[in-house]
Amino acid sequence: MPDSWDDDELLGALSEALRARQAVPAWFVETGKNAYAWHNIDAELAQLTYDSSRDQDTVAAMRSEVASIRALTFTSPQLSLELEVASNSLLGQIVPPRGGTLEVHTTAGVTSSQVDEIGCFSVDPIPSSPFRLRCRMEDGTDVLTGWITL
Amino acid sequence: MRDDPTVVALVTRAARGDPAAWDGIVERYVPLVWSICARFQLNNSDREDVSQSVWLLLVEQVGKLREPAALPGWLATTTYRECLRVVTTARKTERLGTGLDDALQFVDHTMIDEEILMAERNAALRAAFAELPPRCQRLLAMLTSDPPCSYAEISATLDIPVGSIGPKRARCLERMRKSPALAGLNDADFRWTEDDHHA
Repeated sequence: MPDSWDDDELLGALSEALRARQAVPAWFVETGKNAYAWHNIDAELAQLTYDSSRDQDTVAAMRSEVASIRALTFTSPQLSLELEVASNSLLGQIVPPRGGTLEVHTTAGVTSSQVDEIGCFSVDPIPSSPFRLRCRMEDGTDVLTGWITL
Repeated sequence: MRDDPTVVALVTRAARGDPAAWDGIVERYVPLVWSICARFQLNNSDREDVSQSVWLLLVEQVGKLREPAALPGWLATTTYRECLRVVTTARKTERLGTGLDDALQFVDHTMIDEEILMAERNAALRAAFAELPPRCQRLLAMLTSDPPCSYAEISATLDIPVGSIGPKRARCLERMRKSPALAGLNDADFRWTEDDHHA
């Protein structure tokens, strides 16, 4: 640090630094700390490999009547997760098809629903905060998507 | 800015699963995330949304950061991006157009750099403050409070004579000036404060 800082300058800078931290409300800090609960989840991560909203022009040009339905695909080495975003629900399918349980994780908690034997499931309503999906399949496959915000 | 060994250690430990190190990262950089949200004038619900996304993304990235010292830059850029996402989503609802990809073409690098510099300087100053003995912390906290405490109040609260406040103030600041936490700050970091009050 520079020796040129005199006492008043140093005190002024300190005052600003302390105030910058005091300005942050506790709930905002807690959001950050709570996120660590997600560290090292023991599931295979599925990457977002397709998002129709990023290929809007192509989709709109080819099939304009369905361009309003957003489609997402998450892929892991074990399986793919295909999602369609309807007005207030998510319809999904596990490929290759298999049954199991689908968990919807939000920062508020976890809800689960059934994946039928042809790999289909629905999430209703769509979570309003960021969420991720965890597929625990009957064959032992355990796959987790990245965070999704819709 | 130098590669702060504190940051490198926090990142390494958090990547290995140490929750205290994670809390340390959040404590250190939460003002940076907050300050960028404030620049975008987001409401509290949008700020919560941005904060969640940023820290959740960091949880996944913390083991993959090739240069832990690049963390403040990563945080600032990610926060900026998430703020843009929130703002453009709101605009879409209001039918004002402008998608995220358009908005990202106008990333304000100057603003991001300013925020990083300010966050690092403030974090270093808070770290140096935290290393001071409690009596120095109490004195400096009173001297920097808003509105400022009078010497009479300080004298009564800390039970020290008014005449010794000045010399104690000088000694505490001298101690702070010698703190290793401030070793990496240079003149440029400080001079920049002079016009950052406009924000």
